[in-house]
Amino acid sequence: MNGRIEYWVKIPIGPIHPALEEPEKFIITLDGERIINVDVKLGYNLRGLEWIAMRRNWIQVLYLAERICGICSFSHNHTYARAVEEMAGIEVPERAEYIRVIIGELERIHSHLLNLGVVAHTIGYDTVLHLSWLAREKVMDILEDIGGNRVNYAGNMIGGVRRDITEKHKRAILDMIYYYRQEVMPKIEEVFLYDPTVEARLRDSGVIPKRIAIEYSAQGPTARGSGIKKDVRYNEKLGVYPDLGVKPVTPKEFTGVIKGDVFDRMVVRVGELWQSMEIIERALDQMPEGKIKAFPKDNMIIFKLKKAEGEGIGRYEAPRGEVIHYVRAEPGRDGPAKWKMREPTFPNLFAVARALVGEQLADVPVAIASIDPCLSCTDRVAVIDANTGKRKVLTEVDLLKESIKKTKEINPNIKAKPERIGIGRCAL
Amino acid sequence: MNLLYATLGLIALYLYVSFASLLWEGLDRKLVARMQRRVGPPLLQPFYDFLKLMSKESIIPKHANKFYELAPVLALAVSIALLAYTPMGFAPLFATKGDVIVFIYLLTLIGFIRVLGAISSGSPYAQIGAQREMIILVSREIPMMLGLFTILWRLNHLGVEKPFSLAAFYQHNIWELGTPLAFIGTFILLFVFLAWLASEIEVGFFDIPEAETEVAEGPMAEYSGRHLALFELSNALKMFVSASLVVAIFFPWGISTYIGLSGTAALIVDILFHTFKVFAVLFISMSIFRAITGRLRITQAVQVFWVRLFPAAIIGSLILAIDLLGVIA
Repeated sequence: MNGRIEYWVKIPIGPIHPALEEPEKFIITLDGERIINVDVKLGYNLRGLEWIAMRRNWIQVLYLAERICGICSFSHNHTYARAVEEMAGIEVPERAEYIRVIIGELERIHSHLLNLGVVAHTIGYDTVLHLSWLAREKVMDILEDIGGNRVNYAGNMIGGVRRDITEKHKRAILDMIYYYRQEVMPKIEEVFLYDPTVEARLRDSGVIPKRIAIEYSAQGPTARGSGIKKDVRYNEKLGVYPDLGVKPVTPKEFTGVIKGDVFDRMVVRVGELWQSMEIIERALDQMPEGKIKAFPKDNMIIFKLKKAEGEGIGRYEAPRGEVIHYVRAEPGRDGPAKWKMREPTFPNLFAVARALVGEQLADVPVAIASIDPCLSCTDRVAVIDANTGKRKVLTEVDLLKESIKKTKEINPNIKAKPERIGIGRCAL
Repeated sequence: MNLLYATLGLIALYLYVSFASLLWEGLDRKLVARMQRRVGPPLLQPFYDFLKLMSKESIIPKHANKFYELAPVLALAVSIALLAYTPMGFAPLFATKGDVIVFIYLLTLIGFIRVLGAISSGSPYAQIGAQREMIILVSREIPMMLGLFTILWRLNHLGVEKPFSLAAFYQHNIWELGTPLAFIGTFILLFVFLAWLASEIEVGFFDIPEAETEVAEGPMAEYSGRHLALFELSNALKMFVSASLVVAIFFPWGISTYIGLSGTAALIVDILFHTFKVFAVLFISMSIFRAITGRLRITQAVQVFWVRLFPAAIIGSLILAIDLLGVIA
């Protein structure tokens, strides 16, 4: 060798670490403070939700979907409801769609406020954490008012929503928006756009270039922070969103530059707070009168879905990025034969792990927090041999082989040959 | 006999400063909590923490060596020794000519022992924390030493009994010079010292070695029980001592002569008033500073020291020197 000795240290961040809200593991190889390699290990938060779902009926799965994650509890059950509606061809009343928009945007406000606080906490700026979570209490109160619960508001039903938004709720929501516009947003903008400490720490850290964001299929604010105009509400013309003027928010509108760093992701979140408030106001204005459910009684849904057959896909832009739910029904069965979802955290996590190579250790917690990881959504698959009880980890090669097999099965004419990109083990 | 009194005085001082510094930690947590719209822990929480830690089992990692257990004891011993050379509203107990060097040496030694203890623990987090602590240590002392020596050198020319001793501040102080240039230089150095104080107690910008969300308390990652309690106490003492230095340089006035006291009563009144001033300085340099800032990266922190504070210290010192030498009149 050339006689140079490398003092590399491997340090584990996780499964339990003060910077992480949920169990996940990053094995970081360090040369001094510089990161050489990041290896991501998942699977500490598996609860076997898909297995449970196959033993429940269609309506019970709604409540299970809500408990996938505490923050996007509405997003998951909304997406599931959309998937089932598409599968069975159920028409949703327009008022119900508007109510879904309102609750969904309220959830986005609370999720983004939470994340702004968490990112501030990871750089040791605890005052921002406490004040932004204090501001978040207001929207939590509204959600409790509408749904009867702070976290799991159970707003959705297949073919509509369970609770109406009354005149009283409308007044409370408008009050809340006034409070946010006057008191909270100026301070949040001051901190996240102009504060020198925040800028020193967040600028140029955890940079995900546009090319990497596309290759790793980053979602939500992570993709938009890198300058990709990707928002399911806008691109897929979801529900009544096109009437409400939704647009993907990129940092260009605020700072004029797109770097794809942590700062840009935070700017996107601040922009989406403004946008969500506008959407809620417009939705409250335009909301028509009428029914809120396609079926007046819940057992009618089960009765209809028992005869349904086929598959359905629901897509929705959760606060962290795009959520996709897939359901398959078999006739005679009162629950899904297969239920599968894909969350934004999974691609985002690998994109950010790739972005961390070459940066400092101090950037790790803040870069991880900036994608707003939700591991309880992500960990759902563990392959265990029922006879021997042995756990098997599927590598990229296995997954690629399986997916080529499946594609051939569906469409034998496809000729393209996908290649490995080496996820999880970044090249040295 | 004199030595005996001095030793008894040191023990009394140790007990008092332990109490006062832990009390300040409680006050600080309460004040910061109020700034963040929280209720905060009870005022005496640091005392409860300390007592509880003392009674807890101390877990020693398998890969730790002997120094791991020795380091907390040494750190506390050095902090206590440091008290003998600290101005506390009256001249240090063991003040002699040139004792400022002992003071700086002991103050740095505490950080050094923390680094040794951390490296001995064998934890990767502690190792990274130790690296960071070492980098900060070599960066932060230079501006402080430059400022301190300049001020002492300047006071020398006013004729003090013990040159280059911290006792000098109680004979003459820097504000007595009275010229506009001296005022400007002193204000610049005051700013340097407040920033140095924040980095010495590792808050706000400089909470880098013990960064909770990055390296899980860094050097203290593996310490628990009694060993951690000793480190906490020595940290609290160090905090009080560092703030005492700033108070002694810039705000040394006592009140005992104004209310006509002498002897032991004067000492007690002076130390109480000194404690009050220490709390005031710490309120600015610790509570407010940590409420309104976040943590920097290590490279940025080093830059703050070498690009901002060190030139500021040079300019402040030069202004004081020019004032004395009369280069420009």
